Amino acid sequence: MKMRNSTYWIFLAPCLLALAMVLILPFFQGVYYSFTEYNGFEVTEFVGLDNYIKLFQDDQFLYSLLFTGGFSVASVIGINIIGLLLALFVTQKMGKFNTVFRTIFFMPNLIGGIILGFIWQFIFLKAFEGIADLTGLDFFKGWLADTETGFWGLVILFIWQMSGYIMIIYISFLNNIPDELIEASTIDGANVWQRFWKIKFPLLAPAFTVSLFLSLSNAFKVYDQNMALTAGGPFSSTQMATMNIYDSAFKVQEMGYAQAKAIIFLLIITVISVIQLYMTRKRETDL
Amino acid sequence: MKKNVIKGLGTALLLSGLLVGCSSNSSGGDGGGKVVVDVFNIKVETKDQLEAMIEKYESENENVDINLTTVGGGQDAASALQAKFSSNEEPAIFLLGGLSDAEKYQKYLLDVSDMESAKTAIDGTLQGSTIDGTPYGIPLNIEGFGWMINKEIFTSAGVDPASIASYDDFVKAVETIDSKKEELGLEAVFGFSGKEDWVTSQFSNHFTAPEFDNDLNVAYESTELTYKYGDRMKEYTDLINQYNVQPILSLDYSTSVEELFINDKVAIIHQGNWIVPSLDSIDPTFSQEKLGILPLYVSGDDEGFISAGPSWFWGINKEKDEEVVETSKDFIDWMYTSDYGKQQIVEEFKYIPAHDGYDIESITDPVSKEVYQMLLDEKARVWAHNQHPNGFGSTAFFPEYQKYLNGDISWDEFTATTSSKFTEMR
Repeated sequence: MKMRNSTYWIFLAPCLLALAMVLILPFFQGVYYSFTEYNGFEVTEFVGLDNYIKLFQDDQFLYSLLFTGGFSVASVIGINIIGLLLALFVTQKMGKFNTVFRTIFFMPNLIGGIILGFIWQFIFLKAFEGIADLTGLDFFKGWLADTETGFWGLVILFIWQMSGYIMIIYISFLNNIPDELIEASTIDGANVWQRFWKIKFPLLAPAFTVSLFLSLSNAFKVYDQNMALTAGGPFSSTQMATMNIYDSAFKVQEMGYAQAKAIIFLLIITVISVIQLYMTRKRETDL
Repeated sequence: MKKNVIKGLGTALLLSGLLVGCSSNSSGGDGGGKVVVDVFNIKVETKDQLEAMIEKYESENENVDINLTTVGGGQDAASALQAKFSSNEEPAIFLLGGLSDAEKYQKYLLDVSDMESAKTAIDGTLQGSTIDGTPYGIPLNIEGFGWMINKEIFTSAGVDPASIASYDDFVKAVETIDSKKEELGLEAVFGFSGKEDWVTSQFSNHFTAPEFDNDLNVAYESTELTYKYGDRMKEYTDLINQYNVQPILSLDYSTSVEELFINDKVAIIHQGNWIVPSLDSIDPTFSQEKLGILPLYVSGDDEGFISAGPSWFWGINKEKDEEVVETSKDFIDWMYTSDYGKQQIVEEFKYIPAHDGYDIESITDPVSKEVYQMLLDEKARVWAHNQHPNGFGSTAFFPEYQKYLNGDISWDEFTATTSSKFTEMR
C-alpha cells in the first residue's frame, strides 16, 4: 500500500506542479493584485476593496456583463439545437456520407477564432452588401454597424464554430442508445417523432449536461471572435466582459482594477456553471 | 507518508530546476557568442524595409544578431509591448508612443542625449520623449496627417485644391464634389474610417492641440479637456457624417484606403503620409499624380494646419548587458546617420526624416515633401493626442464619438462625458 502511495504521488507530481505554477499560484497572485493599484510592473498602492466598489459603478463593465449573458443564452440555445440536429442527421443510415458530413460540420471548430472573425467580417460586410445590392433587401444592409446586427453576428459566428464540436458529443451518446430500445418502440407503434421525444431525448440527458456546460463556459469566455469580428464596436456596445477586462488592463493600464473585474467575472461563471450542472444532473435518467 | 511527501517535493524541485534551466538558456544574451539584440517594432508598414536594414547591418557586423518582432496593424501594439515587459522578455530596442510611455518605461530607458542620432535630430523633435530635460528616445520619423485628397477627382469636379484657403472654401468644395458624384463615379465624398479608434483620435488632435498651446508638455500635464475649439470640431464632424460612405461606423482602414480611396471611389479621407507605401504597392502612380493633402481650419477660418511631428521614438533598454546596449546605440545611430541608412530611410521607408543632413529633394512623393515643408513653415500642430491619458482615445473618446456619429447622443453630451472622463483618467 505504501509503495503504491509513493508512486502515485510521484506520477502525479509533474501535473500538480504544472497546475500549481500556471493556475493556482497566478490565481492567488491575481486575487492579491485585485486589492491593489498595479500598473503591470509594480504595486503602487494597496487600496483594499476600492477596485470592487468602483467596478459596480462602471456602467460599461456592467453592460458588458449583461451583453455577455445575453450572448451566452442565445448561443447556447442555438449551438445545442443545431448541434443535436446535425448529430441526428449524420447518424441516419447514409453509408460513406456519414463521415463526410461529420468532417464538414466539425471543420469550423478547427479554425482559430481570429481567422473565423475575419472570415465572417468579410461575409457580413462584403458578401451581405453584395446580396443587398442584388436583391435590394434592406435586411442585408449595414451588418455590424449597429448593436443588434453586431450581437447576432457574434451569435451566428459562435454557433457556426461550436455546433460541430457539440455535434460530436451528441453523436457518441446517440450511438450508445441500445438498438433494442428503438426496435421495441417501433414494434409498439411509435413514430419517428415519438421515438425521438420519448426514447432518445430522455436518454440524452447526460449529453445535455456536458454540452450545455461546454457551450456555456465557452460562450462566456469568448474573446478572439469578438475582437476580430466587431472589436467591441460600434461604441463599445458589442464589447464582451473579457474584452472590457482586457481594455482596462492593457489600454487604460489599470491592472489591479482589471484583475478585480476578472475575479467577479470568474465568480459569475462559476456560480452559473455549478447551477447548470446541478440542474441538468438531476434530469439524467439511467437505463 | 512523510517520505512520500519528501519524494514528491524532490521531484518538484528537480522539475522546476529543469524549467528554470530552459528559460535562462533561451533568454541569455550570448547565443553562440553573438550579441543578440531584440527589436520591438510597431510600424508594421515598414517591416520589410526594417528587415532589409537589419540584414545589411548584420552582414557588416558579423557578431551581431538582431531579432525583429513586429506587432501592429489592427492590434493594439502598446499592449503587446507591455506584455513583453510583464513577461520579462524586455526588448533591447522598442518604440515609445509619447511621454506617458517614456514615463512608464523610464527606469529601463537610456538617456540618449550623447547619441549622434539625438544630436542631429531636428530641433523640437525630441520634445515628445523628454522628461525633466532628459531625452529618452530617438525620433523614428516625421509623420503628418490631415485630409488626404484625390486631386484628380477635385479637378474633374472643377475644384482647384490649391484654391481652398478657408473653412468655407472647403465646405463648398465638398458640396461641389457631392453634386457631381454620379458622373465622377464616387460612392461618397468622404471615406472617413469611423471604425478605427486611432483615426478618430488623430482627427481630434487638430482641435485639441491648439487648446494645449500646441505644446506636448502642456498636453501631457493638463488635467482637463475643455473643447475650446469644439464648435469647429462639431462642424467638421457633421460635414463628414453627411457626405461619408455609410455605415460610417463599420468602415475600417483597409476598406477606406486600399479599396475606396485608391480606386477613386472617395475623394477625401482622414489619413497621413504613412499610407503612401501601401498606396504605392497597389498603384505606384497614385501618390505621384493624384495624392494631395489639405489642412484643417480650426483656430481661424482662413488659417489651416495639418498635424505633423515624430509619432514614435526608439527607446533603448539600459538594463540589458553593456554590449547589447552599445550595439543597440550603434544600430540606431547607423540607421539615421550613415549614408546608407539615410538613403534607405528616405527612399525605401519613404519616411519624412526627423534628422538633419538629409537631402530633402530625395523624398520621392509630393505629399511627404509637402508635409515636411508645412512643418518647416510652422503650419503643423504637434501630436498632442499621444499625450492624453492612457486609453483615453480608445476607451473613452472613441465610443462616445461613435455614439455621436450614430446620432445617439448630442454634441453637448459628447463633450461633457469625454471631458469628465479625461479628468478622471488623468
